[in-house]
Amino acid sequence: MPHVVVDPITRIEGHLRIEAEIDGGSVRNAWSSSTMFRGIEIILKGRDPRDAWVFTQRICGVCTTVHAIASIRAVEHAIGANPPPNARILRNLIIGAQCVHDHVIHFYHLQALDWVDLVSALSADPAKTASLAQSLSDWPLSGRAYFTDVRNRLKDFVSGGRLGPFANAYWGHPAYKLPPEANLMAVAHYLQALDFQRQFIRIHAILGGKNPHLQSFLVGGMATPVDPDSQNALNLGTIAELNKLVASARDFVTRVYLPDILAVASFYKDWGGIGAGVGNYLSYGEYPEDDSPNPTMYLPAGVILNRDLTKVGPFQPDKVSEYVKHSWYDYTGGDDHSLPPFKGETLPNYTGPNPPYERLNVAEKYSWLKSPRYNDNPMEVGPLARMLVAYGHGRPARAKELIDKTLKTLGVGPGALFSTLGRIAARAIETQVIVEKMQDWINALAENMARRDYRICDNSKWDPSTWPAECWGAGFHEAPRGSLGHWVHINNGAIANYQCVVPSTWNAGPRDVAGHPGPYEQSLVGTPIAKPDQPLEILRTVHSFDPCMACGVHVLDNERREIVKVRAV
Amino acid sequence: MPERTALLVLGLGNVLCGDDALGATAVHLLQRDFRAPEETVVLDGGTLGLSLLPLIQDAERVLMVDAVRHAGAQPGALVRLEGDQIMPAVRERLSVHQIGVADLLDGARLLGCCPPNITLLGLVPEDLGLGVGLSPAVERAMPTLVATIVAEARALGFEFVPRPYDEKSSRMDDARDVASVLGLWRPGC
Repeated sequence: MPHVVVDPITRIEGHLRIEAEIDGGSVRNAWSSSTMFRGIEIILKGRDPRDAWVFTQRICGVCTTVHAIASIRAVEHAIGANPPPNARILRNLIIGAQCVHDHVIHFYHLQALDWVDLVSALSADPAKTASLAQSLSDWPLSGRAYFTDVRNRLKDFVSGGRLGPFANAYWGHPAYKLPPEANLMAVAHYLQALDFQRQFIRIHAILGGKNPHLQSFLVGGMATPVDPDSQNALNLGTIAELNKLVASARDFVTRVYLPDILAVASFYKDWGGIGAGVGNYLSYGEYPEDDSPNPTMYLPAGVILNRDLTKVGPFQPDKVSEYVKHSWYDYTGGDDHSLPPFKGETLPNYTGPNPPYERLNVAEKYSWLKSPRYNDNPMEVGPLARMLVAYGHGRPARAKELIDKTLKTLGVGPGALFSTLGRIAARAIETQVIVEKMQDWINALAENMARRDYRICDNSKWDPSTWPAECWGAGFHEAPRGSLGHWVHINNGAIANYQCVVPSTWNAGPRDVAGHPGPYEQSLVGTPIAKPDQPLEILRTVHSFDPCMACGVHVLDNERREIVKVRAV
Repeated sequence: MPERTALLVLGLGNVLCGDDALGATAVHLLQRDFRAPEETVVLDGGTLGLSLLPLIQDAERVLMVDAVRHAGAQPGALVRLEGDQIMPAVRERLSVHQIGVADLLDGARLLGCCPPNITLLGLVPEDLGLGVGLSPAVERAMPTLVATIVAEARALGFEFVPRPYDEKSSRMDDARDVASVLGLWRPGC
């Protein structure tokens, strides 16, 4: 494999670096480090809180809407704005669309090639591939001619020497288990997912304007007019278009994505016992179903500790705090105590080696991520956490039904959910649940239109003179990758402090003051590694969390000598 | 709904990272100061990477505007890449968005619809550190970059017409979007 130095200034969300110690064929210890400083908190100080979402939207190129949502919720909470029902519904649709879009893209474009061997796909028999595909689903693009065409296109692509997204992989690795035909089917669906994305992303143009960054957010509601009599507003034509896009997405998820997950998983059932991690799960809850201060959430909030699905505790915001014992920050009161986000500090203090470097000193500070804790517990966030909380609560019923059905199809018990495979399956199940639910929100929007309820924004708090001189707000959001919180402190109309705790901080954060590893770190312990110079198994588990960044993986042997340095995307 | 765009002018880069905002800044200045011809689309693509695929696919020609690192060149120097020069540049990390842009173009190529005419215009950045605002060298070069985009478009047969001053000022009251927040709509700049 090429020796690639991790570039610390990539603009895409920052790099993730994993250092792992291999002993006797499996991972003994692992450390997760983000090598890029994120300082949005510093940029926002002193600015108009109504503009914060425009900045936070640019934190990350992959999750633009999610930081906008968390930001407007935090500011609305602080100033007491109450968005009307149409704004809630539009936001649910935007959040749902982001979830469905990201999950499909994540599986096919960021995860599948950890399990699907492209080189093996080139030797597949198209006729056998067609029989396999037709036995799994009635999706129409499954004929022999189609798979022949895909195989030829791939051959051209690969023989052109420009591997593109297929470079830097471990083709032929012994941990690949799919037969050639399953590999070819999956690669064909990789290409179809690109086309799915191209179609489905048009929902953004409808809900947020032509600009690829949604422009329709607004503190107090939304800026998308709703008016059946206007050409330039969400009208009946728009509703019809939304219906079409969502129906077609649902079709793809039902007939391609979910069947693919089941088919691939059936060859990798051992991964139902690998990659569990900390065993604690957190969800803030998402998709408010009413407009009260504490709305019912379609996906409920909750806290699960020690894998105990019989006890789902409530989420209490004041139990969130962050340590910097192993992070490149200082707290003015010392690093032995955690700080709640409202009192959070962002004082960078880089004490790591100058890049490029061989390894980090993990006894000291070793990451730009802080270590968030819930009541001092490390927590996993994301689709698996949301689906486990839903499973524990028994609602929504559709989630429970799909989880039970998946376990039954694969012939495994609920214990298999706590794993790398569980994480991948939960993401697909959540996609199915949400793409189905989106139809209800479109219908609700249409009903409001029919009732002539066109309200989209609460303007009563727009003017800063209506705000208290000093106020605090927290905005919680379940982004595709997991629990996202923004905390804002407003003083005389300007931002005095702003703190973001993002999903990848929960999952990829370093050890805390007590030495407890974060979810990535814990999940890698015990992972079997067939070839230490090709650590495919590490990628499988790290990718199952959906890290929102390029990933530099460094593997160390038990002398902590570096064996290989690879970049994986 | 799919409709072909004759020319897409696509700014790239992270507006929160110093000179990495130069692509976005250029397209916002272009929108502020010029009326775009009917069949063109001018957009700030940020760091959206693969999510820009539909836009690229719908375009006959693409002008990408981006920060481009170039060995030996001074900050603010103008860079123009086309055809086969682009993929190596985004792959060899001369561009600072190597992952997003490379993935984007690969995706288009895999689907067999990479537009044959992509040109990359950019400036050499000085500072890509976290923070809002361009370095003096890059700020000074912005008018040249915008003029180069206009000239490039003209050579392709697309005429961006300068807006009269009063039209510029009225547009300054537009949405509280990223351009206004970054101070790009201030009068007379």
